[in-house]
Amino acid sequence: MPAEEENLDALAAAASKWFEQLDDRGVFITDDCLIVRRWNRWLVERTGLRSSEMVGRPLLELFPDLVERGLAASYHDALAGEVRILSQRFHKYLLPITRSFHGAGLTEMAQSARIEPLTDGHQVVGTITLIEDVTERVISERELRTQIIASDEARRVAEEASRLKDEFLATLSHEIRTPLNAVIGWTRILQTQPSVRSRAHALEVIERNAMSQMRLVEDLLDMARIISGKLRLKIDTLSLADVAQAAVDVVAPGATAKKVAIETAFAADVPAVSGDSERLQQVIWNLLSNALKFTDPGGRVRIEVTSDDGYVRLSVRDNGQGIPADFIPFVFDRFRQADASASRRHGGLGLGLSLVRQIVELHGGRVGAESEGAGKGSTFSVSLPAVPGPDRHPVHPVALEPVTLQGISILIVDDETDARELLVAMLENFGATVRAIGSADDALALLTSTEWEPDVLVSDMGMADTDGFALIRSIRALESPKTRTLPAIALTAYANPEDRVRALVAGYQNHMPKPVDANALAAAIVRIVTT
Amino acid sequence: MELTALQQDALVELLNIGFGRAAASLSQLTGHRVLLEVPQVTLQAVDEVGEALERVVQGHVASVHQIFSGRVSGDALLILDEAGAAMLKELLTNEPALPLAIDASAREVITEIGNILLNACLGTFGNLLKVQVSFSVPHLSIEHVGAILESLKVAHEEIRYALVVHAGFRLRDTQVTGYMVIVLSVASLDRLIHAVEDWEQSQS
Repeated sequence: MPAEEENLDALAAAASKWFEQLDDRGVFITDDCLIVRRWNRWLVERTGLRSSEMVGRPLLELFPDLVERGLAASYHDALAGEVRILSQRFHKYLLPITRSFHGAGLTEMAQSARIEPLTDGHQVVGTITLIEDVTERVISERELRTQIIASDEARRVAEEASRLKDEFLATLSHEIRTPLNAVIGWTRILQTQPSVRSRAHALEVIERNAMSQMRLVEDLLDMARIISGKLRLKIDTLSLADVAQAAVDVVAPGATAKKVAIETAFAADVPAVSGDSERLQQVIWNLLSNALKFTDPGGRVRIEVTSDDGYVRLSVRDNGQGIPADFIPFVFDRFRQADASASRRHGGLGLGLSLVRQIVELHGGRVGAESEGAGKGSTFSVSLPAVPGPDRHPVHPVALEPVTLQGISILIVDDETDARELLVAMLENFGATVRAIGSADDALALLTSTEWEPDVLVSDMGMADTDGFALIRSIRALESPKTRTLPAIALTAYANPEDRVRALVAGYQNHMPKPVDANALAAAIVRIVTT
Repeated sequence: MELTALQQDALVELLNIGFGRAAASLSQLTGHRVLLEVPQVTLQAVDEVGEALERVVQGHVASVHQIFSGRVSGDALLILDEAGAAMLKELLTNEPALPLAIDASAREVITEIGNILLNACLGTFGNLLKVQVSFSVPHLSIEHVGAILESLKVAHEEIRYALVVHAGFRLRDTQVTGYMVIVLSVASLDRLIHAVEDWEQSQS
């Protein structure tokens, strides 16, 4: 029927026009010899190649790169009746098209494509290719993937931090309990079996454990100060070798007992550094005790001080168990220990090396750790900036003379009986005449009565009723000139700089943190009564 | 309907030719050596396939579905469980897969792989029968394995059979197992099996 044929012709023309105008994807048609027969508007706009330039020409000559990239085979498969999917991920693109992408300038268009056979019944008469621009999708998937990886990483880091904290708390309880067990155990033995031999041993064990617990608490306090930015350095010009020697002297008895040799090699003419001698000694002491801890009997620890290009370098090398390579980057991290298992061989909180790094960095220095692997020993190093200019020679510390308190009378004020008795025993050991009183009010009464005139006052600060601050203010307001100017030393358990300042402002000449070292207290008393 | 041992051997041999062709294409495409293991084939009534597959793949699966037509006609599917699809994508592209539902690139990659494998195997049958087999555009869907097979039953009144082929992809020391399901009418199956027997005899 001619009317129907006319209709069909009109339909074909409309479809053809629709095809040409289609602009959300690229479509082109070839015949069964791969000659381009249709090229739609999308392709014209994206490639800049007009339909009149394309139609009638062989596809593989127009785009020789299709052959080079093995895609000609896909067209031959299509001519054999198969559909070919060309995923963007595997092929990047079908036709080389550059496009401007906002923010990224000119970029290669990412494409997904599909090649299909066109059939007339079962006869393949040509191919049709559909191309989709997936640049935006590829970019957003890449961003999503990056975000997912980043958030996985953030979660992993947070979980690791939380795990380390848990581990640290477990270790902390263990480390606190261990010396306490010894102290309590031996105290009970002392109470029940007062034989002379076990008494000396018990006291030695109790002291050792109490000291170890004190160091633990000091490390914790130092770490807390560093974290809150409250650690203050008392900076002097000093010789790192002298500080190192002092630290070696401290650990030498322990090393001898463990049969580990300590060798020192301090180069001559090493410039001075500027730093806090107490803190630097703590650093070196930490490095040395760490080395001793991980070195078996018969081993060696070598400590060297050298200078190098404006820096003074101290290194501590041991031939002990070494550090696994994968742990080296974390060796100075807080709470980290290479072996955190319950059966670990070595005690400690894992704070020592972290303190080393923090203190050295506060000095403007650097830390380093090296090891050739497990069983091959390790080397820790500290580099501090050398003091430039002519003032290169450090002040050498003056050797201490033995302290005596012979002929000195001391008044002790503390409301805790144990603390009071301890102070009395300590100071009487140095030959002093000591009286101890349990409250500030009684002390003030004694001083006002002038029945006994001490040479120095040693007072606790935190006392019930009248505290140490009020006591010294009352003393400084007394009538008797001698009592009014009585030299006084404050003792507190809170060892931060603010407490020290408060005590000095209130009228004390000196301030010492508890628990107090007997030698240090005696030396302070000598200084205060002789100046 | 059951396959004789002879028919089964012949089918495996033919599928192996298709697998070899697909593995070569995948290796060339990805730059990794991809192997496809010797297929195992079973013939089942289409109603029983769901149950059989649910024993080996659970939950949501990715399926690539193509309809083929010619003297032998039917539906062909490659079915991978979600973990398998993600792993295959990771192994072939060297980048971590996102969940398939939001990873259009991964869906495209799986579609391309399915297309290659299904075409290679069915193309081998076509060559054997000396007829051209035409294929529809492959379609990927992610749904429960039961739902996929249900949709195959709904459209057809006639009794149909399915060849279930285990396809083990082996690459970079890892194995991912997929399942190829070729659903045929009794008439198509008959034609295929006769052709396979003829081919087997011509070989000996």
